[in-house]
Amino acid sequence: MQVDVPSVTTPRAGIDERAFDPLPPIERLGRLRGDLLAAPYALCTQKAESLGEYLEGRSRSAFARALQRARWRAYRWALGRASSGGARPLWVRPLDTVLRGVDRLLDGAHREPWIVELARALAYGLERAPLAVHRGELIVGNLTSVRLGAALHPDYSGHLLAPELRGLSTRAVNPLQVTPEQIAALDERVFPFCFARSVLSRALLAQSTPRLAERLLDGRAFVLTQFSGISHLTPDYPSVARRGLSSIAAAIGRELQRFEATTPSKRQRLGTSTENEDGRGSPGQEQRAFLRAALIACEGAIAHARRWSRWLALLAERATSEGRRTELRELSQICRRVPEFGARTFHEALQSVWLTHAMLHHESFQHGISFGRLDQYLYPYYRADLEAGRLTRARAVELVGCFLGKAAEGLPLFFERATEFFSGMSSASGITIGGTTPSGEDATNELSVLILRAYDQMRLRQPNIHARFHRSSDPRFRALCYQTLARGGGIPALFNDAVVVPSLMAHGVAPRDAADYSIVGCAEWGVPYRSFPAAGAAFVNVPFALLLALGDGLVAGRREAPARGEAEPSSFDELLARFRERLRDLIAEVVAANNEIEAAHRSIRPTPFLSAVVGGCVERRRDVTAGGARYNSSGIQAVGLADCADSLAVVEQLVFRERRLSLGELMRIVDANFVGHEALHREIRNRIPKYGENSERSDQLARWTVRLVDEVVSAFRNPRGGRYLAGFWSMTTHQGFGRRLGALPSGRLAAEPLANGISPTNGWDRRGPTASLLSAAAIEPRHIANGCVLNQSLDPRFIADEAGQRVVDGLVRGYFAAGGAQLQLNVVDPAVLIDAKRFPERHRGLVVRISGYSAYFNDLTEAMKDELIGRTLHDCSCGVGG
Amino acid sequence: MNPATIFDVQRFCLHDGPGIRTVVFFKGCTLRCVFCQNPESIDPRPEMAFYPERCIECRACLDVCPRDAIREGDVERIDWSSCDACGRCAALCPAEALRQIGRRVSASQLLAEVLADRAFFDSSGGGLTLSGGEPVLQSDFLAAFLPLCKTKGLHVLLETAGNYRFEKIERLLEWIDELFFDFKFPDSASYERYSGSHSRHIEENLERLAARQRPRLTVRIPLIPGLNTTDDRIDAFAARLRQLGIARVALLDYNHLWEAKLPRLHTERKPLRLHRDQVARQRIEERFRFHAIGVASN
Repeated sequence: MQVDVPSVTTPRAGIDERAFDPLPPIERLGRLRGDLLAAPYALCTQKAESLGEYLEGRSRSAFARALQRARWRAYRWALGRASSGGARPLWVRPLDTVLRGVDRLLDGAHREPWIVELARALAYGLERAPLAVHRGELIVGNLTSVRLGAALHPDYSGHLLAPELRGLSTRAVNPLQVTPEQIAALDERVFPFCFARSVLSRALLAQSTPRLAERLLDGRAFVLTQFSGISHLTPDYPSVARRGLSSIAAAIGRELQRFEATTPSKRQRLGTSTENEDGRGSPGQEQRAFLRAALIACEGAIAHARRWSRWLALLAERATSEGRRTELRELSQICRRVPEFGARTFHEALQSVWLTHAMLHHESFQHGISFGRLDQYLYPYYRADLEAGRLTRARAVELVGCFLGKAAEGLPLFFERATEFFSGMSSASGITIGGTTPSGEDATNELSVLILRAYDQMRLRQPNIHARFHRSSDPRFRALCYQTLARGGGIPALFNDAVVVPSLMAHGVAPRDAADYSIVGCAEWGVPYRSFPAAGAAFVNVPFALLLALGDGLVAGRREAPARGEAEPSSFDELLARFRERLRDLIAEVVAANNEIEAAHRSIRPTPFLSAVVGGCVERRRDVTAGGARYNSSGIQAVGLADCADSLAVVEQLVFRERRLSLGELMRIVDANFVGHEALHREIRNRIPKYGENSERSDQLARWTVRLVDEVVSAFRNPRGGRYLAGFWSMTTHQGFGRRLGALPSGRLAAEPLANGISPTNGWDRRGPTASLLSAAAIEPRHIANGCVLNQSLDPRFIADEAGQRVVDGLVRGYFAAGGAQLQLNVVDPAVLIDAKRFPERHRGLVVRISGYSAYFNDLTEAMKDELIGRTLHDCSCGVGG
Repeated sequence: MNPATIFDVQRFCLHDGPGIRTVVFFKGCTLRCVFCQNPESIDPRPEMAFYPERCIECRACLDVCPRDAIREGDVERIDWSSCDACGRCAALCPAEALRQIGRRVSASQLLAEVLADRAFFDSSGGGLTLSGGEPVLQSDFLAAFLPLCKTKGLHVLLETAGNYRFEKIERLLEWIDELFFDFKFPDSASYERYSGSHSRHIEENLERLAARQRPRLTVRIPLIPGLNTTDDRIDAFAARLRQLGIARVALLDYNHLWEAKLPRLHTERKPLRLHRDQVARQRIEERFRFHAIGVASN
């Protein structure tokens, strides 16, 4: 289908001054915001139930179904035992193996390839998903069956929640409404048919050593995320908007024809004799199955959109006001057009992107699925509408506001322990604005401005907005970013093109693609639309590896890794070499486990719909989970950079430079949490320069650590043929790791949080913000491939006026000129946070910056609230002299 | 060349001139203002301070003091009569309860410290501010230090109270971009009474500096409630400023936080127990405007 939309390469006119004109509050957005803030959080089991229903229907006999239920009960019993601290009984595994074998005998042989089943299950679910249009919405499409919902995905790790379901609505942090009917349905009709084919059980069962399975869940040395779902990538929304799903489906159809035409033997095409247990079969069969599945998924999605169109037409007839009737009719027309076909207007393009995004979330637990450079690929539609008089700037803001409101509806479902590591309920969907064109000119346009202004009217916790700055960024755009930040919320986060683009090029990205980078999730820079970066795959506790090196495998007296029987290191360099070894071993463990998970994705939970909209998959006839995307990588985040650098500095000074203590003596004191050694503890805290004070040695050690992590991590390869890339952002894993970790030589006491991202330890950056920013720049983020996060809090009184904003501009540009990559500013009065902790009900819409994302303050764990208050108090009292 | 004695280098200062600045506090002053914000700045020599709330009673200081000037357990830990501020205890104190205030730095050392924030000076139009104490008393040091700053292109601002012979500052002026001149009283009698010195030099220096085109001069009046804020004082200030051809003044609000420093230091100073008065400030601003003297916001 030919679409009359100007091409993306249309030369950009300068930003019209009118885009900056004062904009009165838009009533619709105000109402929408109010409704969203008032809506309760609830568990959504719609996808789970329809998947369970579909699979139950595919079960061949009543006996097979009974067997599956029995198997689930045995597993649930073991899970309950494990989560209450009991050991897993020895008979569970053999029993499971037997049940699994019988199950397969009865059930497995004559089915369609599993990926096709999954595509059908998605279509089945989309056909039944309830359609809800909320008051005043101009963009429709639901992530879940409730307004603010966390969807349970039984095909990933949903069954981990089984022991907690009953307490879900009353749990202390992030309670979710859940009904007894939902719980019964999950137990009877969902888990029995899904859990054995879930990524988590598959990946865990594949683990050869029980220790690894234990590590996977105990959250001390590392945490892995991908058993919960596909995550952290940017689909090719520009193509969806431009071409429509029907054109993508047609391309898949052509590819399928080509496959049939070029693969002569039927045996090779179908490969029945080599079919493996998951119905994946021979490479040829896998390709064919993938293409069929992708086609089925696209058709299911198109049918879903048509359902929307019909439903909206019906709603329009029932509408009570003439105005709403017109809006709904228009929406119905739009949904008849998109995402099936290419969009012709700005509104159509937004709707096309949103509905596709929503449908993707019915396929998998999608964390950090981002929108890419929304201001770039939607600009042609905006421009054309504006010039044709179809659109005003205020209307554009209204539409974008509705879009942002939809993106705030999704919640990730975390079981209780995960809440500690990923506090704040962020889905971490990112929108990137600003930046440059591939030829290096300023790409900031009116839409970049209007997206910010729409955010300013909505001020919800998500989506994340990331602003790309560069040397010739429009100063009015920068000023608008600061004004937006001055009102709190921590949005937008700021990124430095001059550092990020070279960092991508150094990691194998073509210059043109690097210039087109966008942010996935929290802070991960990468090529959008045609990558599967799995950027949030794992988080590693780096100080844990350091403790292994310092204690020869013992951490706080507990054997965590094999002893090597080494004598005390004779020099600091020798210690560093041992640290390198221990870190490599730990990362190898993480990689092995994550590789199992990624392999499980490929065999048990391919995502054909997502693959249809990620560039490269159709041409390669491969699912994203099988390496279909053009660029493939997996991200491992190093947590505790400051703690590690500071610990190294302390050990170097006390043990190797001053030779006051042996390493063993120091570690005995550290392991005893410095009890009885108060003076030494104070001395370490006060007198040995810390990362964040911009002192040469500590900055050097931090830089060394960054290089080490980068070198160790990027030596590994994932099953998709891509590299592992290191990132330095922590979400709230620094809290989770910290709580389970003993004291460190840095003077951090047992159970205290680790430092966040590349930020200095809270309160230890005693020389003010310029010094801590310079420390953060000194680690040379241009070597970091998977993003980093630096938090800086500012007192709102300080940034409120124009002079204050000039100072912020000075801080940001100075930091970027010194080589900083990313900065996020929390502008909030500590007194407000303290009040919000005591009286949550008074501060329902209070949005704060956490790690690479923002969250409602009320959604945080108590520990995270305390950390934030401490951070803000320190930063607001520090450095502003005179 | 002689080193300077300074007692602090503070980064990210926003109220001591344009942009993001680093302020170097020079030690030593010839005035003895009863309201001085930095009582630790007056003595030109290094001195000791004790922060009782930080002490963990580890007693490391007792062994190291060569003059037995540390009294165990006492809140007034230092026996000032025998302490010679050698600083050995402070070098050892793990809790930073004992501190030596004032250190000597060479021009190149100080330059390196100041240049650390260079990126932020450039991005914000900031630079270096010399404060104190009275920086001009270390004129010989500055005469060597400031040319170094200028070769690095730093914007230099000097805060001064003006109590010295003009030659001391004259030789520095070509290196200075901006001057903040603290003008505390419009009459000599008050200077003698509250600042312990006549104002002959101050008056003369202000007059000569006001007559010059460069460096840019800002006269600042530190408001000391009741001492220089009565209507007749304001009228006298205004008259004096108009005589000098100065049409704008900056007002510094009073801050009583310095009183908390007193118990830590060896000083005869007494708390004044005065507090900032916002209502009075409005009245003062209006009165200046009435005399056609503009008030700069700060």
